Amino acid sequence: MKSAALLFLYSLKRARTLVITTGLLLAALQLVLIFVAGELHSSGAFDQLSALLPPFARELLGPSFAVVMSFGGIVCLGYFELAVMGALIALAVTLATTPASEVETGFMDLILARPLARHWIITRAIALTTLVTAFLLGLMVAGTWAGLEMFAPKGVQWPSPRLINSLAGNLGTLTLSWSGVAMAIGAASSRRSVAGGATGLLALGTFLLDYVARLWRPAEKIAWLSPFRYYNPFELIMGNPLPINNQVVLGTIAAAGFAAAYVLFARRDISH
Amino acid sequence: MAPISIRGLTKRYGNVQAVNNLSLEVAQGEILGFLGLNGAGKTTTIRILLDLLRPNSGTAFILGHDCQTDGLRARLNIGYLPAEMGIYSDLTGREVLDLLAGLSGHVVDGSRRGELQERLEFPSSDLRRRLREYSTGMKRKLGLIQAFQSDPLLLILDEPTEGLDPLMQESFNKLLVDAKQRGRTVFMSSHVLSEVDRVCDRIALVRKGELVLLSNVEELRKVAARPVRVLFDEDVPVTANLPPGSEVIETNPRSWSLKVKGPLGPLLRAIATLPVRDIEIAEAKLEDVILKYYRDGAGDLHQ
Repeated sequence: MKSAALLFLYSLKRARTLVITTGLLLAALQLVLIFVAGELHSSGAFDQLSALLPPFARELLGPSFAVVMSFGGIVCLGYFELAVMGALIALAVTLATTPASEVETGFMDLILARPLARHWIITRAIALTTLVTAFLLGLMVAGTWAGLEMFAPKGVQWPSPRLINSLAGNLGTLTLSWSGVAMAIGAASSRRSVAGGATGLLALGTFLLDYVARLWRPAEKIAWLSPFRYYNPFELIMGNPLPINNQVVLGTIAAAGFAAAYVLFARRDISH
Repeated sequence: MAPISIRGLTKRYGNVQAVNNLSLEVAQGEILGFLGLNGAGKTTTIRILLDLLRPNSGTAFILGHDCQTDGLRARLNIGYLPAEMGIYSDLTGREVLDLLAGLSGHVVDGSRRGELQERLEFPSSDLRRRLREYSTGMKRKLGLIQAFQSDPLLLILDEPTEGLDPLMQESFNKLLVDAKQRGRTVFMSSHVLSEVDRVCDRIALVRKGELVLLSNVEELRKVAARPVRVLFDEDVPVTANLPPGSEVIETNPRSWSLKVKGPLGPLLRAIATLPVRDIEIAEAKLEDVILKYYRDGAGDLHQ
């Protein structure tokens, strides 16, 4: 246990620069978004933008458009902006594939030549990914409230803490689900690039599947396969509660990935 | 209880037989040289001992504990040096040593580490540098320090002198001798036959995954051919009556170069009547025997 804790701290130390930098950038993005939202609100740009949009386009985009094209909507944009989701998932995948990287470099030989059970390698990666994801989302939420305090125009309605927490929580489980997938692939792989690349392609494929299914009805039949299906920020922004089913599905994907990682890593040969 | 006991170990990669029915015991306090060409199965065997690889059949025990079913206890008192030190280059030498000591669960005696540093000429200032600034030799020294620092009961060393200069090889040999004197056991793979000749008590030679030779070094040396050079005062033709075990390597009118297996008496008797000026007898080289096994595989050692 002491050895496992030491390995966890070592892994955390190695990742700290990347994690802190990413966290600060994501928090800074919240500040920028809120500043921009405040400017747009003060200049009445939201109303102008809505008016510019033709009715058919407004109908196509649905009621969520009106919600997003508001001060509160822009404030929440940071929780479903593609680059933010990509950064969070990429970092989670990087950390989840730490075991594959350690096998690749040969460091795993030195670790496992010690009296340390293999399951601690995976437990360490799970703890690392979960902690870092929580830390990043925590910084984003802190950035949101700090931004609102600093840049929100007077009289404008702030998004509720429940909404921000729901968005962050749902984004967190989505991120963890991908870290589960990456960990399962990484536990059987001897190359981080292979594990990361395979997970990245899978993420891209399922993201596109979800995207296409939202526009093309026949694709809906298989859209349930995409983890992105279970993260619907627009529903949350429109005031709907956080769907527990979605959280359960994403949590199950993460748990299944972690469980598979334990089994695969316990059974595999460590060779690089 | 043998520190290492391997019974019928077999490991296959698809159709490739990496280790085939290998059985071997290493006694406490001995230094066993584990030899073989590249791909012979040395590293695979070591990795099975460390439970990094899982055998298809057979068992391996370290200090009485099954490497697969009781791996944690088996690895409790091991110092391991891999053939390549896979360490992240952004760590300092000290961080590496502290981390690996911590993962071992042992408290490393500072004076022990200091002594190792001194003997391997590794100043503390180098421990403060990041590994990306290390040369190959420095990384190897660091690897040796991490393997020896907790003074483990068993040292498993994979190509330990690879990248060390001759002076450091000498220091390493002394470390091995010291470890042996303190009752520690050493299981080391090596390509450097002269090193094995100097420090090992026994050698085990594997070829295509099979153990083809397991012998005491002294015994092996006895059956190895000794180079003998006979110098004459006048021209002498090569006699056809050289005793069995004497092989002519080169002849000149006033000198013969021979290789002689076994006792020298018969040769001395055969040349007693010749005008011998001098005889130069060199020490038998283990390499000659081992190289034969590398080439030919198992055979009668005494032929």
